[in-house]
Amino acid sequence: MAKVTVKLFGVLRIDTHISCEEIDAEKVLDIFAALNKKAYEIYSKTLKKDNETKKPSPISFRSAVVFINGERCAQKGKRLCDNDEVWILSPSSGG
Amino acid sequence: MSDKLLGYMGRVLKVDLTSRTFEEYPWTDSDRERTLGGKIMAADILYRHIEPGMKAFDESNWIVVSTGPLTGCGCPNTSRFNISTISPLTGIVTSSNCGGDFGLSLKRAGYDAVIFSGRSAAPVTVNITCSGVTFDDASDLWGMSTSETQEQLPKRAGKLVIGSAGENKVLFACVFSNERTAGRGGVGAVFGDKLLKAVTASGHKIPEVANREKLKKTNAKWTKLLMSHPLTGRQLPKLGTAGLIAPMQAHGILATKNFSKGRFDGFEKVSGEELAEKHLISNAACTTCVIRCARTVKVDGKNVKGPELETLGLLGPNILNDDIEIILKWNYELDELGMDSISASGAMAFAMELKEKGIWDCGLEFGRTDNISQMLNDIAHRRGDGDILADGAKRMSERFGGKDFAIHAKGMELSAYEPRRAVGQGLGYATSNRGGCHLNAGYLVVVEGLGLDVDSLTPHGKAALSIMFQNLMESVSACGSCLFTSYAVLPGFLVDKPNLLLTRAVLACFPYVGPVVNLLSHFTKAPAVNIPLLPHSYAIKYATGIKSTMARMLTWGAYGYNIERISNIILGQKAGADKLPARFTDVPQDRDNPKTKVPLERMKKVYYRARGWSDGIPKYRRLKSLGIDIDKEFYEKIAEEAHQNGKGDS
Repeated sequence: MAKVTVKLFGVLRIDTHISCEEIDAEKVLDIFAALNKKAYEIYSKTLKKDNETKKPSPISFRSAVVFINGERCAQKGKRLCDNDEVWILSPSSGG
Repeated sequence: MSDKLLGYMGRVLKVDLTSRTFEEYPWTDSDRERTLGGKIMAADILYRHIEPGMKAFDESNWIVVSTGPLTGCGCPNTSRFNISTISPLTGIVTSSNCGGDFGLSLKRAGYDAVIFSGRSAAPVTVNITCSGVTFDDASDLWGMSTSETQEQLPKRAGKLVIGSAGENKVLFACVFSNERTAGRGGVGAVFGDKLLKAVTASGHKIPEVANREKLKKTNAKWTKLLMSHPLTGRQLPKLGTAGLIAPMQAHGILATKNFSKGRFDGFEKVSGEELAEKHLISNAACTTCVIRCARTVKVDGKNVKGPELETLGLLGPNILNDDIEIILKWNYELDELGMDSISASGAMAFAMELKEKGIWDCGLEFGRTDNISQMLNDIAHRRGDGDILADGAKRMSERFGGKDFAIHAKGMELSAYEPRRAVGQGLGYATSNRGGCHLNAGYLVVVEGLGLDVDSLTPHGKAALSIMFQNLMESVSACGSCLFTSYAVLPGFLVDKPNLLLTRAVLACFPYVGPVVNLLSHFTKAPAVNIPLLPHSYAIKYATGIKSTMARMLTWGAYGYNIERISNIILGQKAGADKLPARFTDVPQDRDNPKTKVPLERMKKVYYRARGWSDGIPKYRRLKSLGIDIDKEFYEKIAEEAHQNGKGDS
């Protein structure tokens, strides 16, 4: 397992309420699983506060655009190294 | 369906500010069918009017405010209207698009467009209603900010106003309608030159449409498409255009330190995420918009319009500033003064680099923020050094030197996309008719990494794609629609599943689509179909009765792009004017990667061949094939002059 810093941007950050996390992960896919767990925890805390019981659906990372140390990575099976900085973005447009 | 074209109000108003009279301007169904509306209609009207040597501040210059056929027909995101005139910043035609409520109100008053000619002897407000035009003295409004001016005008009317920058003829002054802006090219300065402080429009008329039932169904589908698309339904509402800061950083295209770099260490502090998480009060929208990408934020305890990407990028990374709160304040000040934030910040960044290089010192320097507010005020009132910055980066470089790093195209400062890692966007900036505008450029950056992941460093296919996107956006704008609706033309699965093998395979083909796109552009009968991802063409058909197709959209676009270009040539644009600063074409962004510069000349050759242009000048037969009426002798004279004047310049 590598210890990596993960930063989220765009829609995924707004949806998960996660901006930056230190995560132990072997591959990019592991990061998604860890983020989903974390997002679930955040969501559950919010629900408890609001006395609601609705179960959240897992966050979909299918639209994730991943950069590792500034380089675009399209393979979710890519192995990670210690101290890698992983950015997860969503497709964007504007003007 | 009726023989008469519907969707339009069928009348164009011409107001002479010198004599304070008005009349109807002749505009027939054949003109409407040829030009569609909006910016293409305005370009056509200006083309018939302009003469060689005409300048922005000549009394003979016209301002054309035009709407599209979809405005007022219940279609989503179609309140946009256009203002075209000769730009004081570039000396050529500018078209500036706005999402305020003036366009809708103008149609309610019974007009598709209004032309302002002449020059008023004193500050004036022009009021347009169903029963005619009245002129009010605006001396008491002169000197007021854009919001104060609007507060003084009738609540229910659609409004157009200028602020101090327009009054003082700052070359990049804007026109405001509500909080929305016709921002680029200095249309506000032409208003100011004509002493036209404000225009109001009101009425109760609504356009008839050709097939109400089918239009209603199309509008419902269109709304659903926009709201479900990953870009228009998720990213833009949640983060606004400011959401691009982080992806631009990742792709190395975030203009930093006067475009000398493409990445900024402090980008997170001025990002769309920071704006959404800490400063966003609520979303806002242009009239009829379902995307709602605009931001409302608090400045000095007041809810005001938040900054767009361009303002955040150019008043943030591009001047080495990571204080978002101060950008919110500057953005508000720029709006109140009525000034284009892109050009104002471009001129300031250039001044900062001049200081850094020891060429000229006006007190502005990279990373320093305490004197920006004062400078913005000085620019708007043309005080002290502000008077020099009020003329823009190009004129500053002519005065002080530094042409290689004066970041403009045809005199218009560039928006926040650093093009050396998005070379197609670089080609677009250079060839854009109105100058350094990302949207008029074709906005290829959306496929070069931001929305889709097409190879952003290869020049292959970029000429053809630029032409297609430029033409498409031209016609989308002309129908009255927001340009952001054209992003929905990118298939959702390509955007939403960027890592799929299929997506990657499709995107890998993009650089090789050039010949196909060129064929479609030249044999315009080929794509004589409508595609669900481009609902505009269905809506035009059901609103107006015109047999609109994808091909027709591209043809309208080509007509608009070419008529604007030949107008520019008449106004004195030289051959070889499609240029970029040497910083982008000669100096790689990454010294270790020679590909990180814009291979402009190489792409331009392909672009010109596909457009039917010779060194930026449309060929006579191309104009004729598009139905642009021009006398052969006159054409030969202006083309020869453009070639002669451009010698040694290109």
